[in-house]
Order: sequence, then C-alpha cells, then structure tokens
Amino acid sequence: MSTLTKITTVESKLFLRDTTSAVMAFALPVGLMVVFGSIGLGEGDTEQNISGAFLPVMALALSVAILAFSVLPTVLATYREKGILRRLSTTPVHPGNVLAAQLLVNLAASVVAAVAVLVLAAAAFDLGVPDNGVGFLIAFVLTASALFAIGLLVAALAPTGKAATSLGMLLFFPSMFFAGVWTPGDLMPSWARPVRDVSPLGAGMEALQKSWDGGWPDATNLVALVVVAAIAGTVAAKVFRWE
Amino acid sequence: MPVIEVTNLHKRYGTTVAVDDVSFTVEEGEIFGILGPNGAGKTTTVECIEGLRRPDSGTVTVLGLDPTSDRGQLRQVVGAQLQESELPENITVAEAIDLYASFYPNPADPAELMAELGLTEKRDTRFEKLSGGQKQRLSIALALVGNPKIAVLDELTTGLDPQARRDTWQLVEKVRARGVTIVLVTHFMDEAERLCDRLALIDGGRVVAIDSPAGLIGRVASEQTLRFRPSSPLDESVLATLPDVTDVTRDGAHYIVTGTGNLPYTVVTTLAAHDVVAAELRMDQASLEDAFVALTGRALDVEAA
Repeated sequence: MSTLTKITTVESKLFLRDTTSAVMAFALPVGLMVVFGSIGLGEGDTEQNISGAFLPVMALALSVAILAFSVLPTVLATYREKGILRRLSTTPVHPGNVLAAQLLVNLAASVVAAVAVLVLAAAAFDLGVPDNGVGFLIAFVLTASALFAIGLLVAALAPTGKAATSLGMLLFFPSMFFAGVWTPGDLMPSWARPVRDVSPLGAGMEALQKSWDGGWPDATNLVALVVVAAIAGTVAAKVFRWE
Repeated sequence: MPVIEVTNLHKRYGTTVAVDDVSFTVEEGEIFGILGPNGAGKTTTVECIEGLRRPDSGTVTVLGLDPTSDRGQLRQVVGAQLQESELPENITVAEAIDLYASFYPNPADPAELMAELGLTEKRDTRFEKLSGGQKQRLSIALALVGNPKIAVLDELTTGLDPQARRDTWQLVEKVRARGVTIVLVTHFMDEAERLCDRLALIDGGRVVAIDSPAGLIGRVASEQTLRFRPSSPLDESVLATLPDVTDVTRDGAHYIVTGTGNLPYTVVTTLAAHDVVAAELRMDQASLEDAFVALTGRALDVEAA
C-alpha cells in the first residue's frame, strides 16, 4: 500500500470518528432537504424566480462549504498547532501527504453528501435529477475546487485550530448571504446580486441550479470559480507553514 | 568514530541568539545528554541534528550525513521524539504505530514494539485517552519504529509523575541495549545523572563542560561530608589527624567530617579501631546540580570579569 493510500485510510477513519465533522457533512444536507422539502420549498416559486433546484443545490453546496471552510482548515491548523505536521517532517514522509489525504477525505465526503442529496431529491421529494448532468458535474467540480482552495488558505493563515474554525465561520455566513441562502431568486436585494454572480458559493450555486434546470452554467459563474480557485490555491501554497 | 559531530554551531532567530557556539561529538552506542536550563539552546541544537533547522554557521554531521542537504537519508536513520508534539486525538495506539511503520523501508515489527513498550493492552485506545506516561511511551515507539541508528529524545519525562519517569528511564536503557545511540535533552539533573554516559552542559547557547556525570561532579567538588553520632565519646583529634580528613566539626552529639579521597573507609575503620560505632551515618556528596551551579556560575563570573 502506498504511503498516501495508508495515510488517507487512517485520515478517513479519523474523519468518521470525529462526530462534528461527520454530522456537519452528512446530517446537515439531509436535514435541510427533509425540513425545507416538507414545507414545500422544493417546488420552487416562479413568481420570485426561484427554481425547484434551489433546495437540493443549497443543501449540497452548504455541505461542501462546511467541509471546505470549517472541517478541513480546522483539522489542518490543529495538526500544525499540535506539532503533528512537524513530527511527520522528521520521518521519511513529507507532511504534504497528510494535507493531500485530508483534501481527498473531505472531497470524498463532499461527493457522498452530494449523492445523498441527489438520491433524496429524486426519491423522496420528486425533484428529479439534474437535466444537464455534464454541466452539473463541471459546476460541482469547480465549486468544490474554489471552496476547498479557500479552505486551504484559511488553514495556511490560521495560527491555531480554534482560529481556523472562527475564520471559517466568518467566511461561511457572508458566503451564505451572498449566495442567497436566505433570499433565493428575486428575493435577494438587487444591489447584492452582482456579488452573488461572482462570490464562490453564489456562483457555484447559480451554476449548479442552471445545470439542474437543463441549461449550461453562465461563463461569469465559471470564470469566477476558476479565478477564486487559482488565486486562493496559489496564495495558500505560498504561505502555508508546516510548523 | 563519532556518529554525531557538532562543530561551532550557531543559530539565531531574528536578533535572538538561540545557540551561540556549541561543539560536541557523540560516540556510537552511548547515551549522550544535553543538559541545561530552559532557553539554553538545547532544543535548537538537536533540531539542527534532526534536520528540522538549518544552522546559521558551524557544521553538523550525523552518520556522515549533512542534516540539511541529506535530509532524506537522515530521516531514515534518525528517530525523533519531539518536545510537545502530539498525535491526532482520535488515532489509536496500533494505528499510529502501523502508520509510522509504513513510512520506513525496514520498520520494526509493530506488535513486538508495542509489547516491548508495554502498550499492547492499549493498542485500541485513542491518543486522547492515554495517560502522560503512555503518550510518552507511544512517542518513543514512534521514534523507534523505523529501526533508527540514533534516537533523539527531547524532554522525555517533562510532565510525568515520579513512577512514570522511572519507568521511562528503564525504557531508555532498554533502547540503548538494542544498540541505538541516544541523544537525550533534559533539564532534570537526576535524569541526566542516572541515564547519561556523557553530558554536555549548555548555558546561554554555549557548552560549559562535557564529561561523564561523575567527572562533572568531580570537577567542582572533590570533597565529601560524613555526618554521624559516635556510639561512645571520641576525641576529635583522632579523626582530624587522618590523612584524608580536612575538617572536623561538632553539631551537638553529631560529628561532621569533611575530606577527600577514600573518606568513608578511612573514617569508619578508624572508628572501629577505637571501638566506636558511627550511628545515624549519612554521607553527602556533591550532585550534578551542585556541579551545574558551580560550573555555570563560574562561567558567568569569568564573563563579568
């Protein structure tokens, strides 16, 4: 077994043992689906320009956002704070393997959460499946890349695990606002809509909804996601400290 | 041939000089102690040996390798136990040892290692549930799992209770018996005195002295003190005229005899010849702590002058 496989196996066990991260990643999207699906949010609202895809896309995107903004940076910053990365750097294995393993585990959790949402949407709430599967997949990959790049940046900048959690939450709430989680469709004030188009979570959710409804994601959304992923990823790689 | 050679090591952080000028060699198979107060530069010194830090000047050679440029090879032959380094709280003992074993080309058998360190019963216990002593044993296990030639143990027993400290000391002796050369960083005098074959006393980023514990003590205090209550009255001059005795004083019923050489033997045989038994006999010898205070104190005086 290669070193990365071995580390990833151990890190996935640790991920599942940590109740907070497991609940955040899986219970939150399922809970959102069940609660809001039951009160009929899944039916959409043509008057307010809210697509029926809003609910599943929101559930899915929020679960990716929690993993990327909170779970991943908290774990990595804690590993650095407790000298776990430093301890690894005295072995023949580069601590970068742990970073890669953590990314893999959290991406896998994102995919599992997404699949759970899709299954629930189709089977329990009759919301169907994304009409443009390829577009949806592209939008998902880019959204995850942008959000996780930001998460890595948080992990790079936060001195402690607690600081990473706070910083992640500080990003999470405005992200939800500008993604229109509380003000979907035309309910969002018009001044905030341009921000929605380019903010990572907003752009991601718009791209996912558009594909769900059968169209192709807007170029604005996709470019915004790519730019965020590239910039946050590059800066994170530059400023990340192992100790 | 020495396995570690440190020559004129110098390391600063910004304007703070952590290590000013440190030189020493470590021979194969010995337990070499680096002893000094907090902030003396001990940890920085071993971090340069482990390749975690790059010296500003001076050279470090470990098994013929340069820890900075040959880091890859170095990490396979040097096992490290870092000060204040933890593991993920939810990892079990067995998982941690297995994981670290997978990092090395010729690892020790994890099950044997666990047995040797008394961790077999705790194999499925998570790191956060381990006691301080168990965490240190696991930390030692991880330092040894790659079958290193050299193990660097930094502040091994800090925070442990007296029993756990003694157990850990026995463990270190067992590790040395396996042929591993050990560099032990400590600020505990008793630990250094008990474990180390040789020690470097470090103070203010400089080596004050390098010697065996007994040698260091001998440098500062050649005198010993005997205190006893004679079983029957005895003339002080009988003792005062003995060749090894430098001073005899009385403290109530007790005699206090100071001297050099084979003082206990000389005094006790003389007493026996006078049919006197030494009751409540106690012998005081300088400890490593006395040696340290004397040596660093003198060094500071020299600088002041």
